[in-house]
Amino acid sequence: MIGVVAKREALSLFRSPLAWVVLAAVQGLVGYQFLAQIDVFVQYLPRIRSMPQPPGVVQLVVIPTVGLTAFLMLFLIPLLTMQTLSGERRTGILRLWYSAPLSLTSLVLGKFLGVMALQSVIWALNALMPLTLLWGTALDLGTYAANLLGLYLLMAAGTAIGLFFSALTAQPAVAAMGSFATLLALWLIDWASQLETRANLLSELSLLAHFQRLTRGLVTTADVGYFVALMATALALTVWRLTGDRRAH
Amino acid sequence: MTSDTLLTADGISRRYGARFAVHDLTLTLRRGEVLGLLGLNGAGKSTALQMLTGVLAPDTGRVTLGGFDLARDPKRAKRVLGYLPEVPPLYPEARVDEYLDFCAALHRVQASLRAGVVAAAKARCGLTAVGPRLIRNLSKGYQQRVGIAQAIIHDPTVLILDEPTAGLDPAQMHEMRELIRTLGAERAILLSTHLLTEAASICSRVVIVHHGRMVYDAALNHGAYRLALELRAAPPRATLAALAAVVDVHDFGAGKFELEVNDFDRAAEAIGAAAAQHGWGLRELKVGDSALERTFLGLTRDHTEAST
Repeated sequence: MIGVVAKREALSLFRSPLAWVVLAAVQGLVGYQFLAQIDVFVQYLPRIRSMPQPPGVVQLVVIPTVGLTAFLMLFLIPLLTMQTLSGERRTGILRLWYSAPLSLTSLVLGKFLGVMALQSVIWALNALMPLTLLWGTALDLGTYAANLLGLYLLMAAGTAIGLFFSALTAQPAVAAMGSFATLLALWLIDWASQLETRANLLSELSLLAHFQRLTRGLVTTADVGYFVALMATALALTVWRLTGDRRAH
Repeated sequence: MTSDTLLTADGISRRYGARFAVHDLTLTLRRGEVLGLLGLNGAGKSTALQMLTGVLAPDTGRVTLGGFDLARDPKRAKRVLGYLPEVPPLYPEARVDEYLDFCAALHRVQASLRAGVVAAAKARCGLTAVGPRLIRNLSKGYQQRVGIAQAIIHDPTVLILDEPTAGLDPAQMHEMRELIRTLGAERAILLSTHLLTEAASICSRVVIVHHGRMVYDAALNHGAYRLALELRAAPPRATLAALAAVVDVHDFGAGKFELEVNDFDRAAEAIGAAAAQHGWGLRELKVGDSALERTFLGLTRDHTEAST
C-alpha cells in the first residue's frame, strides 16, 4: 500500500511544472558552481602541488558543490513538500485516504517516499557530475561517497520536516514558510557557538555541523543517527498530527 | 445482528466546542436498502457521513461496516466501504483511466483484475468514452461520475454518497438516480441530500436529522402524494373520492380540488380516464407537496422554533 501512495505522490509531483523548474534551477546553479570550482582548481594547481599535504579535487570541487546543493535544498524542500498533505486537505483528497483501507503510517511513509523519488533525481545528478572528473583525475571515492550520503540524509530529514508542516495546515504557503524557517534555524543554530571548540548542545542540534562532518568524509554513527532520528521524529509527528485530525474539535 | 445488516451506528456523537454537530445518532442499514439522510444545510449530515466512513472519529458511540468495528478493525471495515464525499476527491492532472486504476489499487484490488474493474466501473457510470481524458478537462457532471466510479470500483457492499446529484443538470440527475437504484439492489446505500423529490424517488427509507439529532426514521410510502386538480365541469366530491387510489378529497370550489392518493400513477390514470369519459374538462392535474415534504417541513420548522 505504501507503494500505491508513493507512486501517486511521485506522479503528481512530476506532472507539476514546479518539479521541473526546481530540477532545472538546481541543475543550472550547481552545474555552474561545479564548473567554476574546476576552473579555480585548475588555476591554482601549481600552487596546490607545492603544498606539503595538497587538498584533492574532492575537497576543492565536490565538497563545495554538494554544499551548495544542500543549501539550495533548504529552500526547495519546502516547495516540494508544501502541497503533499496541505493541498490535499484543501481539495478534500485527504478524505479519500482516510476512508480507504490504509493506515496513516502507510500514508505518511508513501508520501515521504514519493517526494524522495523526485529528490533522488536531484541527488543522482549531483552524484554523476563529479564522476565525469574520473576521465582526468583520481577521486577520493570514500569522501565522495560520504558527501553523497550526507546530502541524501539531509534531503530525507528535510522532507520529513516539510511533510510535518504540510500536515499542519490547509495553506501550502504557510506549510512552506514553516518548514523553511525550521530548516534554516536548524542549519544556523550553532552560528553563535562556532568559535567554541568543545562540543555543545547547539552544535549537536545543528544540521550544518552534522552535515559538514559527513562531507569531510567522517561517517560516524552519531551524525548518521542525528539525521535518522530527525527524520523519524518528523514522520512520527506527522502521523500523530493526522491521527489527531480525525479527533480534533 | 443478521448478516444482511451491513452498517450500524450506535449512538454516535460529535461535538465542535460546546455545540453538537451530531448527537446520539443510531442507524442500521440492510442489504437492498437505499437510505436517504435528509436535513437542512448545516443539520449535521456531512459530519454524520464522515463519522460513518472513518474520516472523523466519533466522540462517543461506535460504527460497524460489514460487521467490522470501524475503530478497532478499520482496514477490514473500510474494505467493504465506497465513499463519495461532498467534493469528489479527484486528481485533476490525472487521466480518468489512470485515476480509477489508482483507486482500485488503493482499495486492494489485485493488479491482474484492475483493468477489468476499471472498465466495468466506467461502463456503469457512462465514462467509457472519456477514459483517456484528463479529469481537469471534464465537465462537472462527468467529474461527479468519476467520483461515483471511484466509490464503486472495488465492488463495496456499503456505499455512502454525500449529495451525489449536487451540481448535475436534470438529465444527469436522472441518470445518476437510475444508477443508484440499480446499485442499491445488491448493496446498502446511504445518501445525503437536501432534495426531497430525490429522496422520494430513490430511497426506500429516510432519516431526517435536525440540529444533529435524528428526528424521523421511517420507510417511505412511495405513492403518498397530494394532487392538485382543476376541472371545468366538476362532479360531486364523492365521485372523485370513489376513484382508484384516491384516499381523500378536499373541495375548494370553482372546480378546484386537492386529492390525497396512495398511488400516484394509478390515481392519475383513473382521473384522466374518468375526466375524458364523463366530459369533466380536465384543466390541471399536478403533484402537490408530498407526504415526505410535509413531514420534513413540519419536523424541521418545529425544532427551529423550539430552539430559538
